[in-house]
Amino acid sequence: MKKILWIFGTIALALLLDRAGGWFLAKITKESQFRYSRLYNGNEEADILFMGNSRGLSFFQPYVEEKTGFTTANLSYNGMPIELANTLVKDYLDRHKPPRVMVMDISLLDSTRMDNKIGYQFNHYSPYSGRLSQLLKDKVPNDYYAGKVSHLYRFNSEVFQRTFFYWKKSDKDWLLDRVISPEMVANVAAQKPLRFSYNEKMLNHLADLVKYAQGKGTRVELVMNPYYPEFVPKLVNLDTLIMDVQRTAGVTVKKYINEVQKTEAFGDYQHVNKVGAKLYLDKLMQDGVISNKPN
Amino acid sequence: MIFNSLPFFVFIGIFLPLFFSTKRSESSWTWASVSFATLVEAVLWYGTSQGWWNWPLHGLILAATIGSRILGPLKGQHLISLVGSYVFYGWWDWRFLFLVGFSTVLDFTLGLLVDRESDDKKRRQMMVLSIIMNLGFLGFFKYFNFFIDSAAHLLLALGFQPHLTTLRILLPIGISFYTFQSMSYVIDVYRRHMPAEKNFLKYAAFVSFWPQLVAGPIVRAKDFLPQFNHNHGFDWDRLITGTGRILWGFFKKCVVADSLSPFVDQIFMEPDAFTSINLLIGVIFYSFQIYCDFSGYSDIAIGFARVLGFKFNENFRTPYFSQNFSEFWTRWHISLSSWLRDYLYIPLGGNRGGKLGTYRNNMLTMLLGGLWHGANWTFMFWGFLHGMYLIGQRQLGKPFGAVMSGLRFPSPLKAVTNIALTYFFTCLAWIFVRATSFDKATDVIAGLTNLSGYTIVSMMNKFWVVKGVLLIGILLAVELTDLKMHWNSLAHRSTPFRIAAYATLLVLIAFFGSFGSGAFIYFQF
Repeated sequence: MKKILWIFGTIALALLLDRAGGWFLAKITKESQFRYSRLYNGNEEADILFMGNSRGLSFFQPYVEEKTGFTTANLSYNGMPIELANTLVKDYLDRHKPPRVMVMDISLLDSTRMDNKIGYQFNHYSPYSGRLSQLLKDKVPNDYYAGKVSHLYRFNSEVFQRTFFYWKKSDKDWLLDRVISPEMVANVAAQKPLRFSYNEKMLNHLADLVKYAQGKGTRVELVMNPYYPEFVPKLVNLDTLIMDVQRTAGVTVKKYINEVQKTEAFGDYQHVNKVGAKLYLDKLMQDGVISNKPN
Repeated sequence: MIFNSLPFFVFIGIFLPLFFSTKRSESSWTWASVSFATLVEAVLWYGTSQGWWNWPLHGLILAATIGSRILGPLKGQHLISLVGSYVFYGWWDWRFLFLVGFSTVLDFTLGLLVDRESDDKKRRQMMVLSIIMNLGFLGFFKYFNFFIDSAAHLLLALGFQPHLTTLRILLPIGISFYTFQSMSYVIDVYRRHMPAEKNFLKYAAFVSFWPQLVAGPIVRAKDFLPQFNHNHGFDWDRLITGTGRILWGFFKKCVVADSLSPFVDQIFMEPDAFTSINLLIGVIFYSFQIYCDFSGYSDIAIGFARVLGFKFNENFRTPYFSQNFSEFWTRWHISLSSWLRDYLYIPLGGNRGGKLGTYRNNMLTMLLGGLWHGANWTFMFWGFLHGMYLIGQRQLGKPFGAVMSGLRFPSPLKAVTNIALTYFFTCLAWIFVRATSFDKATDVIAGLTNLSGYTIVSMMNKFWVVKGVLLIGILLAVELTDLKMHWNSLAHRSTPFRIAAYATLLVLIAFFGSFGSGAFIYFQF
């Protein structure tokens, strides 16, 4: 029996360290200025809500706020799957005064670009949302239950590293700050065609999200953010995607894929940089997608 | 099945009780373990809907358990070990079990024939047949497309338009390891270093022994086969020391190696896009990634073998503290380098053929060592570089030593200089192992030498760098202090220390570890 005791001792001490570490990191998560921490703290009140995958980060918040006078929130994340977007937006709407408008880039409807396992990266937010917990339980059960056994495991993710990075500072001003390389410009013709890979289930998630936002009184704008102009011909089924989205969500999709033409306005084929974001946002303001605050 | 995955822990939960239950005195364990195995599977099936309620697999486990009772303690344990190893390997792709099985039958039979034959010529022919068959399999599965592609390039360069067929051949995991192990058995029998094994079950359990089947260490039959001569019961001391080794292995693999991998991957994918400092960090990180990945696997394998009552020789001994390349190769992948020494370098003549002969043998051994690692010219070049290092060391070692003595450096400084130089050239060679082509490797070297900048762009890169440096620091601190403290023996002696150390490792693995996604680098070799 004595020989077994060290095993129990090890497990007990490991659990103790795990719970203490988990408690401390949960405190950081709660205090963090990262967008999802603000979301779950109810501190992300905004007039304009943005959503998308990494391309959704081109909704450069400081510029919009400066130009429109509105407050903004952006829930976009790299490889964001539509189911997670649906969960986050609903959680946002339930915890805040509904925004005037929600602008969403629909290029997140592509299963080849989305990271289906990304859900587990949000595991450290699961204690704050029943909806998110249920999604993780359904999509990444092993990770979800591992997070129940080890609290520290919930924080073992890139999203938590960002949460930690923005512990004491805002994440609103982040945007790609590089110019597309000459090699990429030269190789654009050799790139493989990009086919949006989506299904009815994904479209239904989007429709559900749109309906939920509209039900709260939020105007929903669906857009297609700019691509590097020479890359646009590579988008083989874009029009079909747009038609399908319009059919299921009942909202017109505004196409801005060719809106930014300057090479120096792109970080790569699919992402505008700060220069491009400003040009694009000017156009959104001009078109009334995001309008100025009435004086 | 990989070690850092949930199925593996289920496998262990079923295998260990079954393995130890074969002792007659512990007969009640048998049915307890079958019940336990059933329970584990049922809970997982019900709880996670993973489909692990696999009737053929469960039937096999049950049959092996009953079979082991009928065969008795020793043969029963061989049977459990064999079935467990085949389940472990077949989890990845069951079709390649036939390859392991064929290699086992072939070398078992040839070993017996060589042993019984008195005519030296015939003995030699059978040994050569074993080498041809084993290398034939290895050549086909690992090098077929490489040779066809290389021939096509050569013909194209000579002005021909070749129409050579390449095949979509999947590389069977671990083929380089078990082929070498099985082949060396027949060679040892031929050399009369050991008698042929007459018990097929024992031989098959030896060839397929799961802890080292897919990524080594490459064990020698004369050291390892005798360990199957007695039944291995459960032992607390072995559990304690084995667990420490396993946890340290998981820390190296899941925490250090897999944390370095994202930064390394992006650096080597697009070296043009990064500044010199990023490339330098990327190369240093890769040197630790490959070390922790492979030595971590060896630690886990050695640890599990120890728990089961087997002893593997060490495969790594802090290789980056080597002061020259001869020393490096006695500290890095020791089981392969000693294999190459005994079955290639020495038969070629070793250092007995004068200076030129020794250089030739060094170079041939390292070139083939490079080719063993992968079917690509970059691996050959890595071997070539190491061959050159060994030759250079023989040529320049003495004059360099004289210069150092002339400078009257204190010994510690001399040692540090030697370690730094050896590490620098080792890293230079690693670039060719990690880069997917010569172009990429030269891009990395060009980027390193043009001193293009000192900034680390993007927040995630900064994270990866800070995390990587921190983890490498922990690794080096533990390995350096281990030379004096012998942490594993301390953990064996002191219960409070063991509890603290193992709990800390568990917590670090939970917080930093990567599970199920990062396959071991050496699986591809």
